[in-house]
Amino acid sequence: MADVQLKEVDKIYEGGVHAVQDLSLYVKDGEFLVLVGPSGCGKTTALRMVAGLEAITDGTISIGERVVNNLSPKDRDIAMVFQNYALYPHLSVSDNIAFGLRLRKMPKQDVNQRIAWAAKLLDLTPYLARKPRELSGGQRQRVAMGRAIVREPQVFLMDEPLSNLDAKLRVQMRAEIAKLQHDLGTTTIYVTHDQVEAMTMGDRVAVMSMGVLQQVDHPQHLYDEPANLFVAGFIGTPPMNLFEGTVQVAGDDVTVTLGRATLPVAPACLQRYARVRGLDGRVVVVGIRSEDLHPASARPDNPTVEGSVELVEALGSGLMAYFRIDAESVRPAAVEAVEEAAGAEGIVAARPNLIAHFPPRLDLRLGETVPIAVDTAGLHFFDRETGAALR
Amino acid sequence: MTTLEQAEAAAPRVAEATPGRRPLLAGNWWRYLVSLAAMAFALFPILYVVSAAFNPVDSLSGSGLIPDTVTLDNFRAILSGAPGEAGSSEAALDIPYKNWYVNMIFVSGATAVLSVFFGALAAYAFARYRFRGRRMGMMTLLLIQMFPTFLAVVAIYLIVLRVGRVFPAIGLDTLSGLILVYLGGVLGVNTWLMKGFMDSIPDSLDESARVDGATPSQVFWAIILPLATPVLAVIGLLSYIGTINEFIIASVLLDTTDKFTMSVGLYGFINDKYAQQWGTFCAGVVLAAIPVVVLFFFLQRYIAEGLTRGAVKG
Ligand SMILES: Nc1ncnc2c1ncn2[C@@H]1O[C@H](COP(=O)(O)OP(=O)(O)O)[C@@H](O)[C@H]1O
Ligand SMILES: [Mg+2]
Repeated sequence: MADVQLKEVDKIYEGGVHAVQDLSLYVKDGEFLVLVGPSGCGKTTALRMVAGLEAITDGTISIGERVVNNLSPKDRDIAMVFQNYALYPHLSVSDNIAFGLRLRKMPKQDVNQRIAWAAKLLDLTPYLARKPRELSGGQRQRVAMGRAIVREPQVFLMDEPLSNLDAKLRVQMRAEIAKLQHDLGTTTIYVTHDQVEAMTMGDRVAVMSMGVLQQVDHPQHLYDEPANLFVAGFIGTPPMNLFEGTVQVAGDDVTVTLGRATLPVAPACLQRYARVRGLDGRVVVVGIRSEDLHPASARPDNPTVEGSVELVEALGSGLMAYFRIDAESVRPAAVEAVEEAAGAEGIVAARPNLIAHFPPRLDLRLGETVPIAVDTAGLHFFDRETGAALR
Repeated sequence: MTTLEQAEAAAPRVAEATPGRRPLLAGNWWRYLVSLAAMAFALFPILYVVSAAFNPVDSLSGSGLIPDTVTLDNFRAILSGAPGEAGSSEAALDIPYKNWYVNMIFVSGATAVLSVFFGALAAYAFARYRFRGRRMGMMTLLLIQMFPTFLAVVAIYLIVLRVGRVFPAIGLDTLSGLILVYLGGVLGVNTWLMKGFMDSIPDSLDESARVDGATPSQVFWAIILPLATPVLAVIGLLSYIGTINEFIIASVLLDTTDKFTMSVGLYGFINDKYAQQWGTFCAGVVLAAIPVVVLFFFLQRYIAEGLTRGAVKG
């Protein structure tokens, strides 16, 4: 058991790519920390530096009391689960699991005991004699986990271990890995590009973008109090609705104008975003979560914006309603990158710019313009230039 | 998709390719025709040699493909070191066929084993490490391979001659000297071939092993080498056969009759030296082919795997 500390770590690849910039991160003993960010943001690089598979350009990494900058992977007492599992194809499941133990010259009896223990824990007992190619994807994934846990290392490092599984298995394994980690209590750094995975699994989540750490916090805090536009746009499904709005301050009352609609900002919100008060007449970025939007009929007291219905998705338990409202929407570059990766295309201007999570069985007709109530206690405010939250 | 999944996905397709029942020859009779032609082409010389080996008539033109009488005289003659009546009795004492046989196996075996081993070490370094001169080294190896070794035969002769003055053990007329020269000839290609294969073994296997606690040499022995066995077997066998067939260099470097390798020794039978004794020659050839055939049988499993495996990666 050990904590992991990264201090001002940089990685510049030979070609000049600055993959990780000035990363400082502290992982507590026994903690499950998820490193999340869009593809190419430097997560794998960061993890590989902790593993010792990639040299550190600058900074220090320590595991427990030891600075490990110059230690080779085998001396760091870590175990890593690779995205493609990296099982040894010529070895049976049990030999795969025992590989690290045998290298450490552990007595045969102990090795067998550990194999049996890991196999039981991961439901692999019937497959111990098989070769990796005779296993399903989920089983291979578990063998990779088994290989990591038998060594009882100080730290687990996992690089997108679930990304090769189908959606259903992914959800199941998500829970199993989280439980396993909880039971073993081993410090874990888990890399994923999937923010749902990050939110559901992590004790804390570290969000990265373009090599820079954006925010580290508990999942709920990340959702409730994003530190900047990137985190706001990246965490949460659907992503936060973001618009340009003009702030007006009149005595105690603060309003924000989105297009033609003027919304009075609730005091609760002003408490959280105190700096908004000082920005009379300035244009800021206003964020609205989809669950802070309601059908106007359900919330007669809330201020409303007008939106035309573009698309309605019935989820059973609720509706995902896509509106176009008359306001300048803001798309953080990072969010665009994510959408690009997901293959989303289209002309930005024609896209719906407001997504609302409504109760089910609501009669919304496409093209119809309807009032949408905004719970202004839940608004978020960000600086238009820097993207920082206006707290 | 990982490479492992690709391999898995490829497997069922192979199974589909052998459907339950199909009328024999229907539709693709021409494939059989082509393969029959290829087989005839390949088998004809072998048949001829085998038939000549069992034929009492000692000339090639005089014998039909199927001999009238079968005799083991040729084999007896060559094994006893006393070739048929055409040779004089003096010459008979001068034909240590068994020595040649042992020399052949020793030289080819050592060349194959050593070239596979050193080639694998070099290939591992080229495939997995980034060091100064890596590209240059690879290119130089390739360039050198463009010239057949026998082009340098004069230079090789002189080098071995001079080296032999200092280290008589690897000088002219020694088998170890010959092996060294052969190694120089095959190591380059072998390194390239093996590097190509090792490149197809995912890096993450090495990395995983290193995280598991393996040193670079343990990675090599426990991961890379076992995964590369099919290719090593193929390359080893090809080197073995290539060395057995080699004549020019061996004939230049070897001087004493009982140091001869098979090709140099047998050449004497069809050279004027002992007059032309095709029957004895063929008997010698047939016997010499046995180790290759045996080796082929043992390595067959690997060879089939090795020749196709590069496509799907490790
Ligand atoms: N070996 C490498 N050499 C040069 N650049 C690299 C190398 N590996 C990754 N990169 C670059 O570093 C950046 C971060 O990559 P990576 O850490 O793999 O991102 P992620 O895992 O978050 O998708 C990317 O721009 C990538 O192209
Ligand atoms: Mg990655």
